[in-house]
Amino acid sequence: MNTEIKSMFRLGVSLTLFALASCTSTTVDEFRQGETGIESDESVVILGRRQASDYETRSEFVECVGDRMTRGENAVSVIPEQEFIDAMFPWFEPRTAPLRTRDLEQLMAEDVVANKMNEFGVRYIVWVDGHTETTDRAGSISCTIGPGGGGCFGFGTWEDDANFDARVWDVGSLTNVGTINTDASGQSYLPALVVPIPLIARVEANACSRLASQLKEFVVGS
Amino acid sequence: MLAALLFLVTGCGVSNVVIEGDFPTPNVSPLPLTVAVYYDDALRDFAYIEYSETGQEEYNIASGVSHISLFNAVLPAMFSNVVVVNSLEEAESRGVDAVFAPAIEEFQLALPAKTKLDVFEVWVKYNMRLLSAEGEYIADWVLTSYGKTPTETFRSVEAAINEAAVIALRDLASSFSLSFAQVPEVRDWLNGRGIRS
Repeated sequence: MNTEIKSMFRLGVSLTLFALASCTSTTVDEFRQGETGIESDESVVILGRRQASDYETRSEFVECVGDRMTRGENAVSVIPEQEFIDAMFPWFEPRTAPLRTRDLEQLMAEDVVANKMNEFGVRYIVWVDGHTETTDRAGSISCTIGPGGGGCFGFGTWEDDANFDARVWDVGSLTNVGTINTDASGQSYLPALVVPIPLIARVEANACSRLASQLKEFVVGS
Repeated sequence: MLAALLFLVTGCGVSNVVIEGDFPTPNVSPLPLTVAVYYDDALRDFAYIEYSETGQEEYNIASGVSHISLFNAVLPAMFSNVVVVNSLEEAESRGVDAVFAPAIEEFQLALPAKTKLDVFEVWVKYNMRLLSAEGEYIADWVLTSYGKTPTETFRSVEAAINEAAVIALRDLASSFSLSFAQVPEVRDWLNGRGIRS
């Protein structure tokens, strides 16, 4: 009977924590500066900004946004980031990439760059800039191992905050047509009752999903 | 017991990292020049040793081969003809327009364990030399390159060092290929040959 109560208690705690872990709040802000639209033979390239000294936009996040934009209703063609950067080498490296649309205009004056852009059929360049920060770490977990076995006991929690900006450049008009900001935050928990059970808030995944949906609508112009 | 001893022994040794990476060919208009490239032994065998805070050798980073493969990818895109020579004397007999001889002056590594930042950083300082086929000075300039990569949970320190070094090498390739013709002495030399960059 005691074992059953213990199991029920553990299950209850796990379910409560799981419910708490799934509490991720996401806010998306859109600022439109120009008309948009995309033809079936045109593509979008999503690039991560890597100029900051204390962080860099993870390529996995950029890839996630790109993947999601190629799926579902109003799917758009997205050129993989590394394929584009390698093909355009050395013009889109961290130190040489255009920071403003004025720089893009100068870049497009180079025949080799303009020809490659045409080959790819790039209509929009989306610059994603941001990172996920972990704050408010609390709790502790201790693990022991002995001849009879091992185990962990304790509790850990932390908050993740993902903030990403996406600036959309129209390669046709060489202008910035809008900015979309996504901010997602959530609390993660790591209870350990013999075995640690990670209950991770999918903060970055949510930010990726919401940003991709908004970007897709933005470039399609709906 | 033996396994534990072996673990302790290997745990105290130096980790060897051989930098490996693929480098894309630059999209630049090639200059109509035949250039010989000379990689001296110091560049070919270049290795940097990072010491721990107690003065022990911690990482031995060999990047000579990767530098050569980088230049071999970059130079043919920058010049209409490139030949690799084994000595400066050989360049004269090959009838080239110029000889390019790169050298690494300084290599620095910043590890998160020491900087308390969440990034691995590599910084390299180069001395680029351009000589005539006869070995006379044309230009001599300094280039720096930088690469960083964030810490990741399931990646080894060796893999992160490699990643940061490859990014630094790409940085070198991009700044070298874009700034070569803008170096004042090189620009004057090109103008003297009727080549406008």
